[in-house]
Amino acid sequence: MAAMTERISSVLARVPRGVYMALAVVLAAGFPLLNVIGVVETAWLRVGVMSLLFVMLALGLNIVMGETGLLNLGYIAFFAFGAYTTALLSSPKFELRWPFLAVVVVSTLIAMLAGFVIGLPTLRLRGDYLAIVTLAFGEIVRLTIINLQGFTNGPNGITGIYSPLLAGGSEVKTGLAAWLTVDKPIEYYYLVLVAVVVVSILLANLKNSRVGRAWNALREDELAAISSGITASRAKMLSVVLSAGIAGFAGSLYAYYSNVISPESFLFMQSVIVVCMVVLGGMGSIPGVVVGAIVLQALPQVIRQAAGAARSDFEVYRMLIFGVLIVVMVIFRPEGLLPDKLWRRESHEVDPRELEKTRQSLFDLEEGEKDLEV
Amino acid sequence: MSLDHIVSVTIGGLTVGMIYALIALGYTMVYGVLKFINFAHGEVFTIGGYVAAFTLLGLGVNDDMSPLVLAGCVVLALLAAVLVPMAIGFLIERIAYRPLRGRSRIIPLLSAIGVSIVMQQLIILVFGPAPVSMPSLAVGSASFVVFGIRIRVLALVIIAVSSALMLGLTYLVKSTRIGKAMRATSQDMEAAEMMGIDTNKTIAFTFVVGSALAGIGGFLVVMYYGSLKYDAGFLYGLKAFTSAVLGGIGNIPGAVVGAIVLGMTETYGVSLDLGFMAWFVVAGLILGLYVQMVRVPRRRLQHIADDRRTPAYEKSITDVYRLTPYYGFKTLLAERTDALLSVSAAHAVRLMFGNLFLAVVAAVMFANASVRIDTRWQPVIAFVVLMVILMFRPSGILGEAITEKV
Repeated sequence: MAAMTERISSVLARVPRGVYMALAVVLAAGFPLLNVIGVVETAWLRVGVMSLLFVMLALGLNIVMGETGLLNLGYIAFFAFGAYTTALLSSPKFELRWPFLAVVVVSTLIAMLAGFVIGLPTLRLRGDYLAIVTLAFGEIVRLTIINLQGFTNGPNGITGIYSPLLAGGSEVKTGLAAWLTVDKPIEYYYLVLVAVVVVSILLANLKNSRVGRAWNALREDELAAISSGITASRAKMLSVVLSAGIAGFAGSLYAYYSNVISPESFLFMQSVIVVCMVVLGGMGSIPGVVVGAIVLQALPQVIRQAAGAARSDFEVYRMLIFGVLIVVMVIFRPEGLLPDKLWRRESHEVDPRELEKTRQSLFDLEEGEKDLEV
Repeated sequence: MSLDHIVSVTIGGLTVGMIYALIALGYTMVYGVLKFINFAHGEVFTIGGYVAAFTLLGLGVNDDMSPLVLAGCVVLALLAAVLVPMAIGFLIERIAYRPLRGRSRIIPLLSAIGVSIVMQQLIILVFGPAPVSMPSLAVGSASFVVFGIRIRVLALVIIAVSSALMLGLTYLVKSTRIGKAMRATSQDMEAAEMMGIDTNKTIAFTFVVGSALAGIGGFLVVMYYGSLKYDAGFLYGLKAFTSAVLGGIGNIPGAVVGAIVLGMTETYGVSLDLGFMAWFVVAGLILGLYVQMVRVPRRRLQHIADDRRTPAYEKSITDVYRLTPYYGFKTLLAERTDALLSVSAAHAVRLMFGNLFLAVVAAVMFANASVRIDTRWQPVIAFVVLMVILMFRPSGILGEAITEKV
């Protein structure tokens, strides 16, 4: 049995990574077709869109948490920056309707700016302190959104966000322009899917670049990394700003998709859920994070549908399971479900068998030397 | 701005601060021993409050009971509020933290966040999602009037009980065998083990004591405010953590000082005029300038070998800290750096801008002297304090306990 599994896994390991990725993209792209032919309800498409948005968030958090090893507990604040920027630039609130691309770019830039501003004074703090500062930052952002009622409508949130127009113009026209308006779930699904694929390709390339190696080096041993010539502050800042930008991007798409945003969506718990996705999937591993996000966002919905549980009760059990999951994962499998190679090596104690082997060979060497002496 | 108002606000701030202090002690003790932020500590506090309230509700206390029976019930509730959190603190450490000892910093923190979520949901499952309300007792709302100022008896009880507990804790840590073990474990766990100290037992004891204090805090809060929500622990926990950091984490008197400062800041912040509070900023600015210009250069110069201490050298060091805009820019232009003294032009300029910032803040506050900050902003105050303290002085008011051991 064991030999069999080993054989299967060795065969699986020989399949090139690109095949898996292509398979995942094809599966994701094919999912809405099930809706088109009427196998699944449109509600599942909405679950799909939210899952993809969380995939993006988890990918963004993975940059700071997985690659650079900095825990950010206020990550949802950048999401909020993106979402609120979009809502203000494209809703009846200020009578604005900027073109889609401009809104997305500005939202991303604003979130990056927020990341820069918060990173500037805090990045020199040690890991756990940084986590708490980012938590405080997240809460300040949320409370400020609630309190700045003239600007954000406070707890009521901003409603009636316009649908994105992919081609310029401010009015919904007929013909091509109407066709290019994104307003059905399936259209949002593909819009977000394209964004996720682009972001993940970007991140996968970044991971294997000079910058990515610098991040990993900082995570493994900051002192050693600095000694080998990495400018820690610059590399860390880059990772924070980039991850904030991705969250802002996701937030912008989320605001468009949901039409309504309110501070309720940016609670501390949301940040924790994203952290949970990264931990479950495997810190630093892009496929792992994608799987983690999909599992944690989609699976509860599937279970809810199946169990038909009452809403309030369901939330409690969902969070309970998330909490238990975090604890169990960090204790028993800190490298996550689909681990990154480096993390696996780091997060487990040395395998005793491995150690025995090393000792054996050292012993052999000693024996050999003795023989020579004699 | 009457004096009565200021005094009653001060007592309110002190009361809140004392409660923060009770919770902060748990954070700071655990941090002192394990260098680890026990994120789930706030939930232990909530459980203390819930258990106490449900005990009193279960016993059916009311004002018709004889005082003796009533006192007995309160003592029972207090006992429950101590014992249950103690057990929970012990279990948490055993299950979620011990297996992770020696891992990199963020791993145990993640586990603590998981535990915190689990406990919050368990509170909902066991006690229901509605906030727990205390039976209303005459004792709870009793008050008396001194010099025209109304003071709640319970506020004084909280201040007295907390002070007594803190003194007790200081005695425990400073003068008992287990306290010695705690200090040794905190200094160097390996060495402590070699000296025959059971560090596992010591750490478990630290958690148990911290949880007991948090439980008492929960009991006092539920008595004082009359109700408690299942997620109250998050905010209280963070505020207590802020207090611990503010005072210098790992430092027991520091936690108390930090908690009182935070409680005062929060209460003053939303109940006094900006004009009054501006004087605190001015005082802070003057104190800061004194420290920067007199104390720091003097202390740093002490470490310099005598042959290097020429008057010109001393002047150059003192000048760096003489943070008038003129000297700030001069140092910036000269890019003068001394690694040994860790004095750099950038540092001097940072300090200079810090001082300017404080001065501007004070000026703005004086300009709007009669304005009060809306109560809605109260929760933000603690978070802002936390961010500011971590950015500018992560070692806190007292002590440098966070320097890393190499």
